[in-house]
Amino acid sequence: MLNAIVIVGPESQGDGRCGETAAKTLPKVTSGPQGTPLDCVEVLGCSVIERLIAKLRRGVEKISVYRGISEPPSCADIHSASPIEFCSAETAWGGAAQRLATCKDSGAEAIVVIRITGYVDFDLKDALQFHREQGQAVTRAFDDEGPLDLWIVDPAGISEGIDILSTRSGAEPARYFVRGYVNRLRNPRDLRRLVVDGLTSRCGLRPQGTESRPGIWMDEGAQVHRDARIVAPAYIGRGTRIAEQSLITRCSNIESNSQVDYGTVVEDSSVLSNSYVGIGLDVAHSIVDGNNLLNLERGVTLEIADPCVFRQNRVPRQGRNVQSPISSGVGSVQFVQAE
Amino acid sequence: MLTSGPVVIMQMPERLNLGGVRTFLQEVEPLLKCHRPRIVLDCSQVRYIDSAGVEMMLHCLEEAMKRDGDLKLAALSPESEVILELMRVARVFEAFATSDDAVRSFNAIPAEAVLQDVPWYANVFGELGALKQAS
Repeated sequence: MLNAIVIVGPESQGDGRCGETAAKTLPKVTSGPQGTPLDCVEVLGCSVIERLIAKLRRGVEKISVYRGISEPPSCADIHSASPIEFCSAETAWGGAAQRLATCKDSGAEAIVVIRITGYVDFDLKDALQFHREQGQAVTRAFDDEGPLDLWIVDPAGISEGIDILSTRSGAEPARYFVRGYVNRLRNPRDLRRLVVDGLTSRCGLRPQGTESRPGIWMDEGAQVHRDARIVAPAYIGRGTRIAEQSLITRCSNIESNSQVDYGTVVEDSSVLSNSYVGIGLDVAHSIVDGNNLLNLERGVTLEIADPCVFRQNRVPRQGRNVQSPISSGVGSVQFVQAE
Repeated sequence: MLTSGPVVIMQMPERLNLGGVRTFLQEVEPLLKCHRPRIVLDCSQVRYIDSAGVEMMLHCLEEAMKRDGDLKLAALSPESEVILELMRVARVFEAFATSDDAVRSFNAIPAEAVLQDVPWYANVFGELGALKQAS
């Protein structure tokens, strides 16, 4: 039996690298004071978390997701239909450790422990095979830049009380090198890179929806005016509206329930979900999130007060994709609130 | 208001919203009515700009051009630059890193270099008689 524990939140304090999470959010988002964690942001129709869980569901019998309370409410908005409970960052790790102990008692063969720190193309079967061959209690994934927060743990092989998730733990884990694409999503620039890499097939992240023309992906309910122009590669998300005379070009993605109004050009940019982009604008080298614009070329974040230019679209709850693996919360996925 | 020869440098207010624009327009309108107005808008202090501010800049440029003059921008913050690009007006203006650069771009002669009792063109062409002779 293979179990998985997914941790969404900051690193454990024992790791000594806690500062990293501060940069892993969008600089400012309307719905949360700390910004949306980049792992929760919809990328080509689906967040990194959703993609990971969907991937795990194909080979893992039971998945437990632990989330830290330090995550902003905006993340809850993204997964509003999901039954994920919030708990503090500390208890998320504590909860994960408890879950490990439970798995040991229940006789689980192996446990995949993942703290979501970006997008990783890894072969779970290959990693498990490697773990078995090494015969060590813990295997940790690495890439060229160093360790990744992905462990495979043999519950029978670990002694009680050992913090296996800490890099300071006494026993050196076996090192599994991930040969696939890794994007640590350290900053919004990485998010944009992930979009470009996904659209140009440089990684395993595939856009949702259907490829209506070569390189142009249209998701469910997307409405593109006949006088609008979409230049490949591009992604037009679920329920978006692209008005006439507008132009979407150079690896741009318009995420779900967004609107690009008359005559606006979106070039080399990401319009995040539920955003309205007004009439006759030039959005280039940027990320738009509601009424915030982050210009990556100049490293400038602007909050636009005029709702005719940018604003956050409010969408009904039922507008969410019910097939989303994290939203459904049924089947083998278990969402846990740690004590 | 700072002046530098025939080019006028106008310091833009910190907030370029409707209120800020009204006050600023009162100052700049007389300059725009001169023959061949040459104006540099120094944006170094601008911290907030909205559509009224952008519209005012376009209005000033239009008025200056009507009278065969020009209007240039100086010391734009990255935020202001992004706003102008977003609104598709960045290409309409000439923008410079500093007010001095903007003034130089007019190829103007600084006020202190011009003697008060001789016309400004005397520094370039000398006496009017010599100019006539040359032509």
